[in-house]
Amino acid sequence: MIRTLTFALALTSLPCLAVAQDAPPAQQARIAAALTEDVVEIRSDFAGAPLTIFGAAEGLQDGDDIVVAVRGPERDLRVMKKERVLGIWVNSAPVRFESVASYYAVASTRPLSDFAGFAALRRNGIGMTHLPLRAPDEERTETLLGVPDVVVSDLGAEIVDYRQAIVRNKTRQSLYVEADSGVERLEGGLFIARLFLPSETPVGDYTIEVYLFRDGAPIASRETQLQVAKAGMERVLYDLAHDRPILYGLLALIMAALSGWLAAVVTRNR
Amino acid sequence: MQIYLPIAEISLNLYLLLGLGLGVGFLSGLLGVGGGFLMTPILIFLGIPPAVAVSTQANQIMASSVSGALAHWRRKSLDVKMGTVLIIGGMVGSVLGVQIFGYLQSLGQIDLVISLCYVGFLGVIGSLMLVESVNAIRRRMNGNPPPKRKRRKRRLIDALPFKTRFPVSGLYMSVIPPLAIGFLVGLLAALMGVGGGFVMVPAMIYILCMPTSVVIGTSLFQILFVTAVTTFLQAAQNQTVDIVLAAILIVGGVVGAQFGVKAGAKVKGEELRAGLALLVVAVCLKLAWDLAATPNDLYVLIEAGGAP
Repeated sequence: MIRTLTFALALTSLPCLAVAQDAPPAQQARIAAALTEDVVEIRSDFAGAPLTIFGAAEGLQDGDDIVVAVRGPERDLRVMKKERVLGIWVNSAPVRFESVASYYAVASTRPLSDFAGFAALRRNGIGMTHLPLRAPDEERTETLLGVPDVVVSDLGAEIVDYRQAIVRNKTRQSLYVEADSGVERLEGGLFIARLFLPSETPVGDYTIEVYLFRDGAPIASRETQLQVAKAGMERVLYDLAHDRPILYGLLALIMAALSGWLAAVVTRNR
Repeated sequence: MQIYLPIAEISLNLYLLLGLGLGVGFLSGLLGVGGGFLMTPILIFLGIPPAVAVSTQANQIMASSVSGALAHWRRKSLDVKMGTVLIIGGMVGSVLGVQIFGYLQSLGQIDLVISLCYVGFLGVIGSLMLVESVNAIRRRMNGNPPPKRKRRKRRLIDALPFKTRFPVSGLYMSVIPPLAIGFLVGLLAALMGVGGGFVMVPAMIYILCMPTSVVIGTSLFQILFVTAVTTFLQAAQNQTVDIVLAAILIVGGVVGAQFGVKAGAKVKGEELRAGLALLVVAVCLKLAWDLAATPNDLYVLIEAGGAP
């Protein structure tokens, strides 16, 4: 713990690492973050893993807030609505959402709505209600109330139901998380965020954004990367299955035949 | 103890999976069914993607049927010629089934079709078997002799061409009915992740009129080859066979199957069939209920790979 904290402190003293994006020069607020591990390895005993993010904010004042947002690799998603046909529930009305974050967790010092403005959250896509969930196939532009090129959905208000369904489903799988008090402030501008990657965590590249909020808007931000990857035996098998599917198929056959034969032989001699 | 499955991309309890394999393997040996019709819905219920559950099941059933078929081979309760004809039909069915599976998956309807297939097949076969076996048990309890088998009338089946002799079963019949039955079972293997024993065993008894003594061995023999083809195709084409999950289920399954074969020798045929029928009907009712009951969430998310 002490070692990691000193590590986090050391980071802040490196000027090139802590560049505030939106900060006016006068305020001199900076924020930095580091992970205990840059790579989360999925091995055969993987049952989810805690994700701890350490950071330091320079020029942190009372009343400031810190937000940590973790985004998983983007995937395309088809959302279907079940409808009753002849007494049974059938998937219908598919809507294709593109580039949906497969994992999304946001941790903050206080509930987002207590300190952050709508525009700031929407612009940066922070929080479940502001997460960009787009279905380009259903979109068109039209002029509304004299404003040209407003993007509207062909589904009208129904698109909201679909968006909520994505968030609801992902939340149920613990893949979308909003932790109101997931960021803990320590002394001297240091903070620590604790999140959890469930066992269904998809593999790929993750981005972690850290924001320092003051007066409802981010005054400093910083981005770092995390990789979730299969390792060891899991990696070997996964690669084999996708790169040499024929060999993998034969392997599956041989394994089944051998084990079946072995069992028959063993029980016969008993 | 949790174990992470590389293709299913989910971690599950190792002992739960071992126990499942053991229980289903026991039924496989006892009743001559692969047990896939129980295992596949359970695996899906545990959160394994349906595509992975179905494909991996084929691999597991293959191992169980190797050990089961070997046991029957030693007891000479296996009709190799009939089995071979069934296998030829089965392979064609399996190849077609894997294609249909991939197509339905791209439509997002695979879960529904799997469930509907289960409800339909299990419902019809389960209730027929139940009625038949209960009648048989009642007759025995009343002390009535089983009704004499009358000389069969010339049926439609007997009119079909390509007749051949099946010495082990003591039959002289056309190869078309066993080919058709094999085809159907191969299709089911690929679509439903079942060995198809629950269709084939009754079909062999009631349609092909094979002697009950060779039915189970022969069905295991056929299932062995059809599931082998299905496993290979699913692995090569859809990359949905989880070898770790299969290995765990197999360890439990092969042990269970050996006990099942031994237990099967001690139980009367009618009771066995009645037990199987009850199980089949129960699974059918559960699945039918799930189809008709209002789901907790009206929306489902389906991972869309690649181009639309």
